[in-house]
Amino acid sequence: MSRFIPLALTAILVTACSSVGGEGFGYGGYTLVRAQQRSVGDGSMIVTPPREWNRQSSVWAIDDIRQVEDWTLNGPYLDSMSFVTGLKGGRYIIRQSKRTAQQVPKFRSDMTAPEIAAMLESFYRVKAGAIDFKTTGLSPRQFMGYPGFQFDFDHLDTDEVWRRGRAVGAVIDTRLYLVLLDGARAHYYAAALPDLEAVVNSARLKR
Amino acid sequence: MSVLVSRRGLLAGGGAIAAAALGTGIAVARILPGAMQPLIGPGYKPTDRDEIGLWQQMERVEEEIAGSNLLIKDPGLNDYLRDLIGNVGGPAAKDMRIYLARIPEFNAVMFPTGFAVVFSGLLLRMRNEAQLAGVIAHESAHFLRKHQIRQWRDVRRKTDLLAIAAMGAGVAGGAAGVYTGDLARLAQLGTILTMLRYNRSLEAEADAMGVRLLADAGYAPMEMSRTWEQLIGELDASAKYRRKKRDRGYSLFSTHPAPEARMADLKLSASEVTIAGRSYEDHRARYLRAIGAIRPTLLDDQVKLNDPGASQYIIDTLAQDGWNGLLRFYEAEVWRLRNRAGDDARAAQGYAVAVQYADAPADAWRWHGIMLQKAGRRAEAKYAFAHYLSVAPDAPDAPFIRQQLQFL
Amino acid sequence: MRRLIIAATCAAALSACVQTKQYADVQFAPPEGEYKLLVMRPDVSVGSVTTGGLVEPRADWTEQSRANLLAALKAQQASRGGNVLILEKRDGLATMGVNSDTVAELERLHYAVGASIALHRYSGAYLPTKRRKGLDWTLGQQAVDLGRRTGYDYALFLHAEDSFASTGRVALQVLGAAGCIVGFCAPNIGGGGQFAYASLVDLRTGEVVWFNVLQAGTQIAGISMGDIRKPEGAAQMVDRLLNRMKPGREVQRAMKASGQ
Repeated sequence: MSRFIPLALTAILVTACSSVGGEGFGYGGYTLVRAQQRSVGDGSMIVTPPREWNRQSSVWAIDDIRQVEDWTLNGPYLDSMSFVTGLKGGRYIIRQSKRTAQQVPKFRSDMTAPEIAAMLESFYRVKAGAIDFKTTGLSPRQFMGYPGFQFDFDHLDTDEVWRRGRAVGAVIDTRLYLVLLDGARAHYYAAALPDLEAVVNSARLKR
Repeated sequence: MSVLVSRRGLLAGGGAIAAAALGTGIAVARILPGAMQPLIGPGYKPTDRDEIGLWQQMERVEEEIAGSNLLIKDPGLNDYLRDLIGNVGGPAAKDMRIYLARIPEFNAVMFPTGFAVVFSGLLLRMRNEAQLAGVIAHESAHFLRKHQIRQWRDVRRKTDLLAIAAMGAGVAGGAAGVYTGDLARLAQLGTILTMLRYNRSLEAEADAMGVRLLADAGYAPMEMSRTWEQLIGELDASAKYRRKKRDRGYSLFSTHPAPEARMADLKLSASEVTIAGRSYEDHRARYLRAIGAIRPTLLDDQVKLNDPGASQYIIDTLAQDGWNGLLRFYEAEVWRLRNRAGDDARAAQGYAVAVQYADAPADAWRWHGIMLQKAGRRAEAKYAFAHYLSVAPDAPDAPFIRQQLQFL
Repeated sequence: MRRLIIAATCAAALSACVQTKQYADVQFAPPEGEYKLLVMRPDVSVGSVTTGGLVEPRADWTEQSRANLLAALKAQQASRGGNVLILEKRDGLATMGVNSDTVAELERLHYAVGASIALHRYSGAYLPTKRRKGLDWTLGQQAVDLGRRTGYDYALFLHAEDSFASTGRVALQVLGAAGCIVGFCAPNIGGGGQFAYASLVDLRTGEVVWFNVLQAGTQIAGISMGDIRKPEGAAQMVDRLLNRMKPGREVQRAMKASGQ
């Protein structure tokens, strides 16, 4: 979901003509997620990823929402897994200025699954550059032992790439919990889907 | 409208130039439609070296745009647009091409070789065929008056473009490459060819000639100035909702009459080209038939951006020609997404109104059901959900709705 | 759902150096002999930097640069032997049963993959799971299908961006925020200077097996770093990108071990 990373390659030029790239150093944009149980987001959800993933660090993020955490395998242009944990009603899944003309709607505790799906759709259209968005499925699904939903969708973005996504979530005690996978329809989504299923099935609430 | 600057950017540019004009006391006189003759005829091909070079490059741009998957390829709609440009394209009508892009912005772009790209946001906002034809006529006028090459030559004189030497017949016709994403950058950056930004007098020429082409083809020429009114109204409504002034560049509008001056000029020109006794049409019915199938998608694309001021304005404008189930539904959607205090009640009422119309979309029944369910009106919710499933049994969310029915 | 902004810690870099760095799959051995290579349509974008720091694409510069790069590619490949097809239009493979939509889909996917490699290998946004793996990206089954139907062994993709200050003013290095308002952001779209990459895809597996990035320094007035709008500049870029292909880590080790 946080695919859109403005960056300047001038960062390389800091070191003038000395070694460019290199595996040892980096400014810590991503940290390693090991294939073992861990808590995500604000700590209220525990998941077990079936293999190593990369977690987007919050050090450099400017629109950090504590309840949201993003992972990727191959980079956000190709795949990303996002967690929403314990988001209260009246809050947003991203930071945005109140003055922007187009805005992502806020989450409300009394939202039904179609309303949450609509909120995510607006996120994709407003923030993530989706030109065409198709819901391909919305069905009930248990999540962490609570009645929830599974939301499947496809979207065509301004870079002309079709991407596919699946979100599994539930509103538990007025808060939103969600795991979302989004990836390029060619190869990458399908390659990461087993991971999403494993993570969703392993997810537990930390009380 | 220039090749690149969106209507919004154009208004900004117009405002700035007008401010400067007012400052120095020089006003741009209205260009008379009668004075506007086309500078090219049917089957036009360039003979000047620099223009040939420009054309070769534009052929490549057209090739890339034609290959973009952001285009709307519906044959009926594309035929309709082709017919329109055939009506108002003047002598070059048969030579021009038109592409429709799925981008929810109010914009249309004419390239120097006679192909135009119309954004779906434009199609949404036009009330009738005359308004759409007016925009296309304005764009065609840029082509017919050779504005692009004239402006390009003007800019060349003034700047130190390094690449001049290679321009011309020497550019390899087989140059190939990929323009992925540039179609959308058209909307964002508003430019693909910076040297083709038009100055105010070229825009005035396009207005004058456009209104004449429009009238000659039998369309009501006054409709051209109305599209300006509508855009300004929308920008105002959007900014007002977010409690701010119109975007940077538009603050000039509050004190300088530039867009109003253009509107005034257009009204004058429109009355000039009107021949007494002749009937002029807006062909609204024909237009609605042509875009009928895609209108829900256009409204959807706009409303889901959650810009309530703009979306409400657009819906109200379209509703001046009559409310229907589709418009009432999307009005309710605006309120649902807007979600200020009391909006959930407003939206609920909106859906209840929408479903009374025969043309209410299936989605209206689903949302109606959800609102009823939340209000505890179970029997009515059950009816609404059942109706939804009967008109859309293969809807993607049918499994979810079926489960809801079990609880009711 | 967050945006990662990578600060340019050295904005107006005065160093005008050119750097290239190759990455290869650990098992990669540069192709030689009778290999069939498909050179995909080069993805070129050249723009002018406005005072606000936006890069506005310029069709004239872009087309010129494309023509130059193509000519340079043809020349470069001619000297290496092997069967080469340089794809100039999307329907160039139609006689082999591959239509332009298929080519377009692959181009689009590669754009995303290439941008990812550039971002996560070269720009500091390293992915810990890719440590010590050389190059770990693929174009998947689509690329394999293309290889089967056309009989080509490798596909070469080329991406080049460049921008120039429009009126001779110094181009300020800016965060690549231009163009990233809503939608697609690619490395260096907003920055000044030259950025190019070449990637080699093994069509038998679909994997990207070799990748090279060329980054030239800031466009300072008067200093012209291989201006690809001119034929010499394009030839220079092609040479830097393609001419010194090194084998992957394991192959290098094996070569050292056998005393080469």
